Amino acid sequence: MNTADPPADSMLLKIDLAYHRLEKALNYVAATFLFSLMLLACAEVVARKLFNSPIHGQADLVEIAIPTMGFFGLAYCQRVAGHVRMEIVVNMLKGRAFWLFEFISNLATIIICGLMIYGSYYHFLRAYEIGDSTMDVELPIWPAKLIITIGFCMLMGRLIISFFGYIQMLQNPNGPVYAVPRSPDIEEIAEAEAMAARDAISDEDVEEELERESRIGSRQNGERR
Amino acid sequence: MLIEPLTLGIAGVAVLAVLVVIGMHVAYAGALVGLLGLVMSIGITRVIPGEGGWIDAFLLGFEPGIGIAGTIPFEELAHYSLSVLPMFILIGYMAFHARLTQGAFYCMRMWFGGMPGGLGVATVFATAAFAAVSGASTATAAVFSRIAIPEMLKYGYKPGFAAGVVAAGGTLASLIPPSGILVIYAIIVEESVGRLLLAGFIPGILSAIIYAASIWVRVKLKPSLAGPTLRADWGTKFKSLGQMWGIVAVVCIIMGGIYTGWMTPTESGAVGAFVIFCLALAHGMTWNQFLHGLTESARTSVMIITIIWGILILVRFLGFSQLPAEIEALVTGLDMNRYWILLVILLMYGVLGMFMDAIGMLLLTLPLVQPIVLSLGFDAVWFGIIVVKMVEICLITPPIGMNCFVVAGVRPDIPLLDIFKGIWWFFICDVLTVALFVAFPGIVLWLPNQMFN
Repeated sequence: MNTADPPADSMLLKIDLAYHRLEKALNYVAATFLFSLMLLACAEVVARKLFNSPIHGQADLVEIAIPTMGFFGLAYCQRVAGHVRMEIVVNMLKGRAFWLFEFISNLATIIICGLMIYGSYYHFLRAYEIGDSTMDVELPIWPAKLIITIGFCMLMGRLIISFFGYIQMLQNPNGPVYAVPRSPDIEEIAEAEAMAARDAISDEDVEEELERESRIGSRQNGERR
Repeated sequence: MLIEPLTLGIAGVAVLAVLVVIGMHVAYAGALVGLLGLVMSIGITRVIPGEGGWIDAFLLGFEPGIGIAGTIPFEELAHYSLSVLPMFILIGYMAFHARLTQGAFYCMRMWFGGMPGGLGVATVFATAAFAAVSGASTATAAVFSRIAIPEMLKYGYKPGFAAGVVAAGGTLASLIPPSGILVIYAIIVEESVGRLLLAGFIPGILSAIIYAASIWVRVKLKPSLAGPTLRADWGTKFKSLGQMWGIVAVVCIIMGGIYTGWMTPTESGAVGAFVIFCLALAHGMTWNQFLHGLTESARTSVMIITIIWGILILVRFLGFSQLPAEIEALVTGLDMNRYWILLVILLMYGVLGMFMDAIGMLLLTLPLVQPIVLSLGFDAVWFGIIVVKMVEICLITPPIGMNCFVVAGVRPDIPLLDIFKGIWWFFICDVLTVALFVAFPGIVLWLPNQMFN
């Protein structure tokens, strides 16, 4: 696969990068919710066990926070090729044939995304009109349902960019790859894990660990002598 | 009627298989087939016989079908029990930076280093200990490749052997709580998350003991595999326990919290994550590392939540088509010992695992496999543990034994082929372990049953 730099003046590339910034921002929002949820659950434990006064409605809050964590990062996850798929067959294809299958998958995803926008929007609309609320503290439910629709709309934007990206790749199958998600192959995933491990445990740490071992080893031997 | 719902169900499964094979994301393929299947299932029951065709059926089923599918992402996901998943994922990413690996490895080395193959045994027990704070197999294999392999090589261990120990030890994270994959299983089959997490504990420890025993036997038989051993005195042994306190604390929080019912699984996960977060901060986790861990947790959560709702739409359609019930009737009608049927199912997972990753494989198959297993009189919690054990086996067997690739990624000097060669003993151990759980289901079910008595 060609890893050369894409043409810098490409409109598609500019749109892709700008949209990716937005996706990243929304993913940060989801990440913030995740961290807040952790703090909230800890606070609940402390409040309930230590002060015997559970936080009013925290379970409701947790429930309506889940759509944010599940859908704000949807487009981001799509762009970084984070979803589960089976690649063993398409990876055997080369050039235009490969991009054709990617294009078809993307098209099928556009269909399901469009249908889900429609379905989830009506689900939101009903909740909004009825004024549905949570069981315990009666928080309104519609914002959480709207977030799902927003997540799907963001995904749709990403899929449309990919649609043009794949057309571009079909026209020029051996040219530079850009504006489409690229699934990492198994070696790349392994390399990413390895990088993370190297980041977490530096070479000095490994050295230090080896030395700690020798120190004890020699001390023990000394005692035995 | 244009077509029997059952035929529609079978056609749907066939289309799904094609979509997955051509590389469509499992979540979206499941949702697409499920949604269109729902539309058509409803449509064909509404068409007046002899008057309407396929297009009428599609139009009649369109609104109600999409209506049902549109409710699923919210109604099936916004449940309290699901919130445990992001917490467990977060623990996994934070544990990377909390230096728990070094402490665990040091302590286990002091205790088990004196045995034949002591460093290997220590590595297995240290990965088991780390598994108690992390649910990610590949991450566990990666960090221990950094820490344990240099140590083993220094003491004259054969590289393939050392790498195999780490790759196999890493798989323990899938079984020992907190385990993301057990939570996903619980949600899909509608079992108690707490029961499944508890059920994984003893089988996980037992797997570690069996791995360790196999290392001991191998080194006894062939001492050239592993170099000299290191003996520590009792004072050093007990002092080294201090290095384990972080892990012990998290295990007590998660297991204790769930077992006693003091905390919900979500709360146990959250408090565990908070403790790990503080430890990571104390050990100098940088802002960038924190941000990276958090965004990766968010991304992984999205991936898992997406595949859950996608498959749940499919499950709703399959329910309409009566396909699971028909397959169930077919299998129970077979004049065959139920253990043979179980064997066929397990072999199927063994083969599927060669082509798919664990989450995709489980979610695609469970809607059809789970009813069969239940109708044969097996326990749902027990089967969850067996399935996760199968997933572990897939993590270390070619062609996509992810853990072996990860170890090779950290240690480019050890050829992948050597690692796969180093793994086959552990593969036999895993098969024996599964056989053990099948023969004695009590090993799996004792702890979760205690909780409810």
